[in-house]
Amino acid sequence: MYYYILDQHNLPIDKFERLQTELQGLLTEFKISGECARVTPLRSVADLVDTASQRGAKTLVACGSDDTFNLMLAALRGRDFTLGFIPFDEQSYLAKILGVDNLFTGVKTVAARRIEKIDLARIAGNYFISYLEFGVMSQDLKSANWLTSLKLLSTETKSYTIRIDDSYNVNIDALGGLAVNIRSTSSKNETIANPTDASLDLLLLEKLNKADILRYRKIIAMGCLEEVPKTTVIKCKKMEFLEPRGANLTMLGRVVAKFPATVEIIPQRLRMIVGKNRTF
Amino acid sequence: MEKMLEDNINAPAETVVGPSVKIQGDLNSEGNIRIEGQVTGKVKTSQSVFVNQGAKIAADILAGNAVIGGDIQGNLKISGQLILQNTAKVTGDISCSVLRVEDGAQFTGKCAMNGDTGPVVSTKKEKVPQLEAEE
Repeated sequence: MYYYILDQHNLPIDKFERLQTELQGLLTEFKISGECARVTPLRSVADLVDTASQRGAKTLVACGSDDTFNLMLAALRGRDFTLGFIPFDEQSYLAKILGVDNLFTGVKTVAARRIEKIDLARIAGNYFISYLEFGVMSQDLKSANWLTSLKLLSTETKSYTIRIDDSYNVNIDALGGLAVNIRSTSSKNETIANPTDASLDLLLLEKLNKADILRYRKIIAMGCLEEVPKTTVIKCKKMEFLEPRGANLTMLGRVVAKFPATVEIIPQRLRMIVGKNRTF
Repeated sequence: MEKMLEDNINAPAETVVGPSVKIQGDLNSEGNIRIEGQVTGKVKTSQSVFVNQGAKIAADILAGNAVIGGDIQGNLKISGQLILQNTAKVTGDISCSVLRVEDGAQFTGKCAMNGDTGPVVSTKKEKVPQLEAEE
């Protein structure tokens, strides 16, 4: 059975209701109707995942924003579901990764039920499929103009200590970095950010001169740090962020943990319904 | 083979240790490793290791192939080809199948080819002083 979790999140109510009606029409048209449940102040995403589990649902579909999907992942707590995503937000980052551009493609993708097994990452009991940011990478570099980028990327470095695979410590004075499972430029053929390689990628950005900041600021904003000179790239299964204590680890601008924190990969753990135009 | 290894020097590596990074412990990888910073401990991969000029390593290196341009204090056990570039400074024993030492490379230690204990070489090549330009 399909269980759809509908989340208004930041959408205006009239737009949300229009999308909800459109969604229900499409679900009937594609003959994949199941139970739809709406997130309310009294029923969180986690409560709805619990309900789905009790009702014996096998497929959970998050309908909303990237946050809706991330909250759904966090609420799984090891339970076995096939997951899908239908975006209500045109700017959705996950939609791009999963190859579901809009509501229509999302429903069509769920109906086609093409399932890929992908790696799942875990931090402090929460699960995620995308990436974590720290340092300057937590800032909103995507929407920053060149002057703001210059200012942000010219800040002083911090001294980071990260333990990798219980085997060695990395000490670096860096602006920030990423712990990546999947990103919008992921590919199965790429060695970095491949969601099926059973590894996480740690990318650490060193201090750059002004010319390099201006040259690479868009690449940095896209998270493709490996294309920036002097960047450190480490492939691993486990990373422990030790220093500086109290530093934030964020996901899409939301703080998910603070240093010290441990991130691990669980290979091929997630059964995900993906679109034809997925990025991996 | 030699040409292929040299062609790969600028190829993307699975693990890249940037210039301001200090690593302490055993660095293991399944792909190519490029080192521009400092490593203390052990470096191990079945693929190639590229140690760039400016890198400082106090570790044993076990790898398929290696191109060394930095400073190494430790033993190199390479199953394939080893290239010591003109900026390399190696203090330790070497074991490899094919060895190329460029002019200016410095090496102090024993060298065994194909895992043989064979002829032992101990060399330290001094850099050739440059001639002063005539006025």
